[in-house]
Amino acid sequence: MSIRNVSRRRFLKLGATAGGGLIIGVNLPGCSFSGALPIEQESDGFIPHAFLQITPDNQVIFYCPSDEMGQGVRTGLATIIGEELDFHPRDMVVKAAGLHEDYANPEFGVQATGGSNAVRVFWGPLRQAGADTRALLLNAAAQDLGVSASELTTDNGYIIVGDDRFPYGDFVTTAAQLAMPTETPLKSNASFKYIGNEFSRVDALAKSTGAAEFGIDADIPGMVYAVVVRAPVAGARVLSVDKTAAEAMPGVVAIVPVSSGIAVVANAYWRAKNAAQVLEISWEDIPLGQVSSAQVRTDFEAALAEGDTVEASTQGELVAGFDAASSTLEADYFAPFLAHTPLEPVNATLHITDNSAELWTGVQSIQGAQGLVERLTGLPRSNIRVNNLYLGGGFGRRGTLTHIVEVTEIAMAIDKPVQLLWSREDDIRNGLYRPASLMRIKAGVTTDGIVSAWDVQRAGGNITADTLTNMLPALLPSLPSSLLNGLSGFAEYLFSQWTVDPSSVEGLHETYDFENHRIAHATVDHGLPLTFWRSVGHSYTAFAVESMMDELADRAGIDPMSLRLANTENKPRMHGVLQTAQAAMKSMTVPDGHHLGIAAHSSFATDVAEIAEVSIENGEIRVHKVTCVADVGTAINPDIVRAQLEGAVMFGLTATLYGRIDLDQGEVKQSNFHDYQILRMDRAPAVDVILVNSGGDPTGIGEPGVPPIAPAVANAVFKATGQRLRELPLKLA
Amino acid sequence: MIEFELNGQPVVFNGASDTPLLWAIRDHFKLKGSKFGCGAGLCGACTMHVDSTAMRTCILPVAAVAGKRITTIEGLSGDGLHPLQAAWVEHNVPQCGYCQSGQIMSAAALLSSNPRATTDDIDQALAGNICRCGCYPRIKEAILSVAELSYDATTEETSA
Repeated sequence: MSIRNVSRRRFLKLGATAGGGLIIGVNLPGCSFSGALPIEQESDGFIPHAFLQITPDNQVIFYCPSDEMGQGVRTGLATIIGEELDFHPRDMVVKAAGLHEDYANPEFGVQATGGSNAVRVFWGPLRQAGADTRALLLNAAAQDLGVSASELTTDNGYIIVGDDRFPYGDFVTTAAQLAMPTETPLKSNASFKYIGNEFSRVDALAKSTGAAEFGIDADIPGMVYAVVVRAPVAGARVLSVDKTAAEAMPGVVAIVPVSSGIAVVANAYWRAKNAAQVLEISWEDIPLGQVSSAQVRTDFEAALAEGDTVEASTQGELVAGFDAASSTLEADYFAPFLAHTPLEPVNATLHITDNSAELWTGVQSIQGAQGLVERLTGLPRSNIRVNNLYLGGGFGRRGTLTHIVEVTEIAMAIDKPVQLLWSREDDIRNGLYRPASLMRIKAGVTTDGIVSAWDVQRAGGNITADTLTNMLPALLPSLPSSLLNGLSGFAEYLFSQWTVDPSSVEGLHETYDFENHRIAHATVDHGLPLTFWRSVGHSYTAFAVESMMDELADRAGIDPMSLRLANTENKPRMHGVLQTAQAAMKSMTVPDGHHLGIAAHSSFATDVAEIAEVSIENGEIRVHKVTCVADVGTAINPDIVRAQLEGAVMFGLTATLYGRIDLDQGEVKQSNFHDYQILRMDRAPAVDVILVNSGGDPTGIGEPGVPPIAPAVANAVFKATGQRLRELPLKLA
Repeated sequence: MIEFELNGQPVVFNGASDTPLLWAIRDHFKLKGSKFGCGAGLCGACTMHVDSTAMRTCILPVAAVAGKRITTIEGLSGDGLHPLQAAWVEHNVPQCGYCQSGQIMSAAALLSSNPRATTDDIDQALAGNICRCGCYPRIKEAILSVAELSYDATTEETSA
């Protein structure tokens, strides 16, 4: 089937972000959180709006609307508001915002964090909030001091008049009586004091002393500990359970059926885990139970062979493009399922009392967590409090909240506060995964190095149907389940038969000019739960696109960098990044036996090129150094931007060298870090980051460093060995 | 009943003797700085010092530490910051921060036995600590900055 229906595609594309991920724009009545701000007022503290509180002793508290999972968002957003307020972000108290519609992510329409968009979408609103608040303080000071506001200026938390300095806090009582100015002019970029400066993250000290509190650290008097035994084949239901042995284990408090399996509750985590191991459960047989890894790829190939695809994007004339080409190539690239493995396994602690509930966790949507507790308990929204603590890694995993469903079901069944903790084995075997993907690219290049034809098909599952299944109950707590099931089912049908899930194909052509291209898609879904994984579709599409670019260059006898430059004439920001990378390469001294591979990719509105220096030692691929060139427009804190790129290279290298989730009759074979390896210190390359910073508004940084590293290494391996590795993780023949 | 020393104070643990030390410290003694990451001694998030040696406490039964000295991240520095902790802030090391207690405890044990640790020494000693955010280059720089300080101090003493 290849039905094209522009109006339907446009409807769905409304939800696509600038270059990355799919947004579930659920902006329906009944899911906003208005009313009083969830801010505890300090003694005589002044709360001008949702983002700030200023106390008479000149303490500034910033309520950060985005969840801190390592990306530095608390520092970044504090810097943005601090710039216009004229208060050093390092001197602020930065707290996680509670639940309120004023904290909704402007692009998502809900209070959630993801898609590398926080700095980009809060850039405008937080600058304005800071500027308006500063203007208000100036007005208050003018009134209190009996001078004109135009005679006043500010300096890092102080009002300056002549030689006198008065702390902002002196004027908060008067400020509280005045109207908040609006549309206050913003500073020029040239006058930035904090933006563009480098200073330590606001959470660096707490995270170096053990003081930072994560979800797992919640400790409620009298709480008990829960472990859930889930279906070894995702989605299978419990047929029967023999709990005799488990009930007899020491410390066991209760055994509770939950929607995902059976929960064992004990007076210690250790005891719950031991008892869970002797539960005897028989599970229903479901189709996924017939699926093993080899079949996944076979099924993808069969779908492409049948040609049962839906067009996602088309431009120009493919036939003419192939006619114009001097060299033509076709190749298949494959990427496996992957787990996220944030180092803090997902967890939640819930205390339900007669008419209220309080939750402690670390998730990428506090609004979703609250919504699930509301849906399941039926408690009034205003009586449910959610404490979102630091997230011990997110990477997309903490956008799915099945653990909130579990902890609520358990807490409702027993009369105690309960802490649910997933083990590492639960995390790797029972989570949600980056979809496996087969990408077939047929491309032609002219003698001038222009890619004149680009024809791509991708086969695999889509993340959006699962995402809807998980998010809609959370974001629409009062909508009946039957209606929600209908919506999720509709999305699944839509994406398999009618249009293409944007996140499944993102990155297959956008980096380059490619005037004649066609992107088509075949949905092949085996039923393994799928979700966002740091850089989403780009995590696999960049591997295919950038490997093929090097293959074309090799076939046409063109330098790989020149080929990329020739095909980014109309992508000026990426073109500039490539030129900087080219200059960096020319100045590199490459040791004997080491080889350079390059790759570039645009995602989340940011352009990145990476150069990997690779050797082969005793049959092992060794990555010694990675040079990463990026353009994020304006870097709020360049050192944090560098840290995100360094980390993204490591995250991507784990997937490049080790990452694969295999299925054996529907069960995930890997279970812990011995068979699901993570890159370690002794294999971590040096990373040299070069920021181009062409100016303009800041763009995403959490994810865009991930996509280029796998193809950069693969391209270097080809130079080192002549072997073209088209499957991740990379394995030498 | 198991007695040991925790961050310089004598303590008694009355729970099950096969409880891993990590859970005794976190849930009984309420020190939450040491983290659970894998439960199998594979990631190092739970690293503490047992008689000055870095050990993975998620697989170490509390019975095995009877009479021993346990130091956690909370007890590493006494007053103020340990030089490594100051270096961690200076080098802007943490991202999510979850693994950092374990990283710092492994690094501290390395430097106490080998104050002039080299890059290779760090690679070996820290290979058991996973950082999923990939802060490795900064962890290495931070440790080297402290190791170099000690190297400089020793050199100055010798030359004086």
